[in-house]
Amino acid sequence: MIRFLIPLICLVLFFMEPVFGLFSPLNIGGELNYIVPRFLIMFLIFLTLYYDLKHAMFYGLFFGLLYDVFYIDIIGLYSFLYPAICLVASFVFKRVPRNLLTSTLLTLALLVIFEFVLYQFFLLISLTGMPLGTFLSTRLWPTMVANSIFLVMLGWVFKSVMITQLSERDNKIGLY
Amino acid sequence: MPQLLTNKRLILLLLGVILLVALISFSLRDRSNVSLPEQIIKDAVGAGQSVFSRPAHFVTGIFDNVDSLLNTFEENQHLKTRLEEFASVQAEVKDLRSENEELNQIVGKEEDLRDYNPIQATVIARNPDQWEEKIILNRGSNQGVAENMAVMTATGLIGKVTLTTPTTSTVELISTLNPNYRVSAMVVGGDKDVFGLIEGYDAERRELLLKRIDADIELKEGDQVISSGLGGIFPKGILIGTITEITIDEFGLTQLAYVKPAADFSLLNHVIIADRVMPEVDGEDNGVTGDDES
Repeated sequence: MIRFLIPLICLVLFFMEPVFGLFSPLNIGGELNYIVPRFLIMFLIFLTLYYDLKHAMFYGLFFGLLYDVFYIDIIGLYSFLYPAICLVASFVFKRVPRNLLTSTLLTLALLVIFEFVLYQFFLLISLTGMPLGTFLSTRLWPTMVANSIFLVMLGWVFKSVMITQLSERDNKIGLY
Repeated sequence: MPQLLTNKRLILLLLGVILLVALISFSLRDRSNVSLPEQIIKDAVGAGQSVFSRPAHFVTGIFDNVDSLLNTFEENQHLKTRLEEFASVQAEVKDLRSENEELNQIVGKEEDLRDYNPIQATVIARNPDQWEEKIILNRGSNQGVAENMAVMTATGLIGKVTLTTPTTSTVELISTLNPNYRVSAMVVGGDKDVFGLIEGYDAERRELLLKRIDADIELKEGDQVISSGLGGIFPKGILIGTITEITIDEFGLTQLAYVKPAADFSLLNHVIIADRVMPEVDGEDNGVTGDDES
């Protein structure tokens, strides 16, 4: 039963994103602030760092595909970006000490890259005409603030879940 | 140091990128049709999504209730002043309605552009990355929803259906930047009805653009804009918004009016899909007019 904990968390986060998306855009002082929940990719980056890359990339591919088909109608965008971000995360983390602070910072940094790549893509296919300055102030900034609150609140939970899962898996391997 | 890119990985990566580009261009080219596997995924995810959106709507409902409780006193004052006016207006409406019915009977007119069958739907998700203005509803082709139907809230028009699967439908909001998104509209309030097209959205002002109005016609700020039903898909008489500013368009030939939408696009919850009674034809409400197909 506990084996399905990680996919279950992924699934819950996947469904939570659009629910939180319903609150956006947030009108603060006459300015529209777009808050994009990115719970799943943050969890996947943590999965890469504390569990293993293969699982993270697989889940990234699967949920990315669901995301593409259900919300975006452009197949291949998120299903490529999710695993790609995981790959970058694992590559960077080979040179960085592994603790909660560095992994949180790295996750947020990768999230900025992720948002920026998406912005460039939608600019390229001209689904948006948002200038860079507006993007930074009304999208990237509020999104990063909201997501870092989420990550600071739940990052240690993610980490402890993965460490228990990992130790359980290792114990099982030891039995055989 | 373990090498990141061995030969095998490099080939795999290249293949992946090629596949990705092919998939993206494929899905960008043909976005109005949904293939069967896509439909299955959409329906499955939609079912899961409705489970999660229900408690969320419950919570936002509580906030709404508290919010309206706080405003009760002011609202009550305001409503009291309107109440007397209301009684006389209601009597007039009743009178006009019966007169209209009689006249329709006399000329033998049975169907009207205004008539539509409402399909109630709940918003189960909003496109979470918000680059496109899309919402997903929990009603699909099984309930009679078809592409290009008008979607509105109690306060006004919000968009039209762009994709349907058996149990879900995707709605593109009227605040989209999509240049092919057109709604035929008319301005009421003057002596004569004025026709134009809602084309485009000014993201900075958060107002719609009503274009192609004859330059000779004088419009007033504060006039109401409703759907005209002449685009072939939408029923007539759905409130779109009110005019806030009138200027000349970029070519100087026709007028352009900024229209403040009547409906609020954030925090959408329950919406109504309008299934027009009159037969539908291809037109500008459709998005695929003759010149787009080339």
